[in-house]
Order: sequence, then structure tokens, then C-alpha cells
Amino acid sequence: MASSLIRHFARPVLITGKGLFSAATQRSIPASSILFHRTQATATPPASTTTTNAPAPNLIRVNVEQRKALVDFGQYVAECLPRFVQHVQMSSTNELEILIHPDGLFSVIAFLKDHTNAQFSSLADITAIDVPTRTYRFELVYNLLSLRFNSRVRVKTYTDEMTPVASICDLYDAANWMEREVWDMYGVYFTNHPDLRRILTDYGFEGHPMRKDFPLPGYTEVRYDEEQRRVVIEPIELTQDYRKFDLSTPWETFPKFRNAVHDDAKQRQESKTPELSKPSTGSNTENKK
Amino acid sequence: MASKILKATTNLTGMAVSKDPHYALKLLYGKILRDLKKIPATATYRKYTEDIINTRLGHVESEANIARLERKINCGQIEEVIVQAENELMCVRRMAMNNVWEPLASQAPPNQWKWPIA
Repeated sequence: MASSLIRHFARPVLITGKGLFSAATQRSIPASSILFHRTQATATPPASTTTTNAPAPNLIRVNVEQRKALVDFGQYVAECLPRFVQHVQMSSTNELEILIHPDGLFSVIAFLKDHTNAQFSSLADITAIDVPTRTYRFELVYNLLSLRFNSRVRVKTYTDEMTPVASICDLYDAANWMEREVWDMYGVYFTNHPDLRRILTDYGFEGHPMRKDFPLPGYTEVRYDEEQRRVVIEPIELTQDYRKFDLSTPWETFPKFRNAVHDDAKQRQESKTPELSKPSTGSNTENKK
Repeated sequence: MASKILKATTNLTGMAVSKDPHYALKLLYGKILRDLKKIPATATYRKYTEDIINTRLGHVESEANIARLERKINCGQIEEVIVQAENELMCVRRMAMNNVWEPLASQAPPNQWKWPIA
């Protein structure tokens, strides 16, 4: 009786050449949003030049529709959040990257999670990259996944050792341990984190191991001491001399990278040192008198 | 006889079948549109969100049958559409609070995004 009246959930079915698939939901990005005027966030053109899916020898097949959908979505995000989005780029493997100002981290990720056209409800990963030559040496990377639209996006910001960054634990529970790992490995502080403490290193470990200036074997080693009958931590003692290998070839391998690496951190230090030397010369003249 | 024909389950853990989805959606969409007015009309976020919400509101008001409404909106079950509307409401309030439509706050330092670094 009543059971016959219960309607069953209807799943729309689309029959394609490959087989039966349910009609995939697509983002409703309005066509008028594909504006070709320059926004302040510049969009770099896609790296691949193949426009057809015909197989060619030695060339990777590019999924043109997926790439186009991501490019459109990247432009959409740049238009909706102009205050924080600095740059939008596509990798050669059809991965969308949104580069933002660190002040806008919580807003941008909240937009990507909550907005109807985005719905990135799953946080896949939070990591960091250490590039010591930059002014803001750490580059934070957030990988998000949308189950509704089957797409991924990467959000990148920057910070240095002393500047804290907003925590996104209020949006994603997974961010809790991921941010703890970034804190432990790199030393990036997250404000409003409920429980920011070490997660992978030993208790009482000093230093942030994934930084580029942290040496590969570290600074301390542990061993069991018979007299004290416990594990002791001692400074590291290399049993063989430190070996330095000169692996450079006499032939030039990368002609595009002949120039020296841009070191913004060093340039800042050099600009500071002449200012420091001035007061010291003043005190010398006083002593002579 | 039931005055309303409800589906048995959403097949999603923790998501109960909504008893009056039309009422819930109209309420939420009304709130979203009202809160969107706090954002300046020139903001692209406001334009696109109003388009989306007005389209969906049109579907909700024209279609009384829930299954056909789900297919028209084409974004999952009606209970999921209600969750999306709740999220959009939170999003609108947060965007309005943070003034996201303003021009770029500040550019990154030079070479910040340069890769490879050499």
C-alpha cells in the first residue's frame, strides 16, 4: 500500500559511446564570464598547443574539455575574489593553481568550499615548500577536491618564518594534523589552531627538519647508554669525514639557466649592513678624543 | 493516505529526508538574496551568485514534484541542494565581511612565484 507510493530516487542516465554513466554535473559558469580583458590576476595561457585529440607520436594526449573547464573556473575565481587572487595558472598536466595573498587564505578556501559553483568539500593535502632565496621563503600549498564536480584545485600562498598564517581547521577537520605537520617540519605558525604542537619529530627535538638549512643527518643522534640505563641524546658524531662531491660537468647542460640565482634574502641583508656601520664610525671618533 | 509522498531514504549516512524541501529552499534562497544586497552591485561575485540562486529559485517555484525538481536543478538530491544553499549563505556573509570584491590588496614580491627559481 504505502510502500508502493514511496518513490525511488531517480538517477538520470546518460548513454555515451563508452557505456552507461550518470549525467555528470557540470559547473554553471556563465559564458559571459569568459571575458578576455585583463584582470589584475593574470591568467597564463595553457602550455600545451595540441587542440585535437588525434594521437600523435611522442605527444601526450590532452583532455581538452577538462582543461577548458578548469581554465574557465580559474578565471571565474579570479573575477569573484579580486582582492586576494594574485595569479592563476595551469600546469601542463591539467592542474589548476590559484596563487593568493596570505591575508586572504581563509576567505578564498571558504569560498572554494561553500560556493555552489565550487564545492571543494574535501581537503586532500596541506604542504609547504622552502625556497630560502625568496623574501617569503615558505610557499604553502593546499590541495582541494570537489566530489560534486570531480575536479581538483591547488591554492598557494607564501609566508616567512615569523609571519603567522590563518588556520583552516574551522573549515576542514583534516587541516588539524596537516597544519601540525607543516608547523613541525617547517616552523610555519597557524593562528586559531586548536592544538598546534609537534607531530612527527621526537619529544624535545629542536629544529624544523624540512627546511633547506637543516642538514640531512641532523644535529643529534640517540643511543642507549649502559651506565645511565636509558636512551641518551648526543650531538652527532660522523664516523667518516664529511665528503663533498663535485658533480658539475664540464659541459653546459641548461643554457637557459646561465645566470646566477636570484637571491632576494641576500640583497636585503646587503642593503642593511652599510646602515649598521655608520654609528660605529661615530663612536670611534669619540674615543680618539 | 499520506498527504505527501516522501522518499524512503537519501542513501547518505546522516542525511535525513527533508519533509518540506520547497519551504526550506525558498527560505534559504530568500535569505541569500537579501544578504547579497549588502555587497555592491558591481561585484562579480554578487552577479554570478544571484544568477545561480534566481535560476534555482525559479525551478523550485515552478516544479512541485521533488524528483523532477532534483533533475531540473541537476546537482544531486534535494537534501544536498539544501546543504548547498546553507553553505552559500555562510559564503555570502563571509564574503560581505571580508570585502572580496575590492581590487588586489597587494602584489607578491618580485620573483615570489617564479619557478624554476634560477
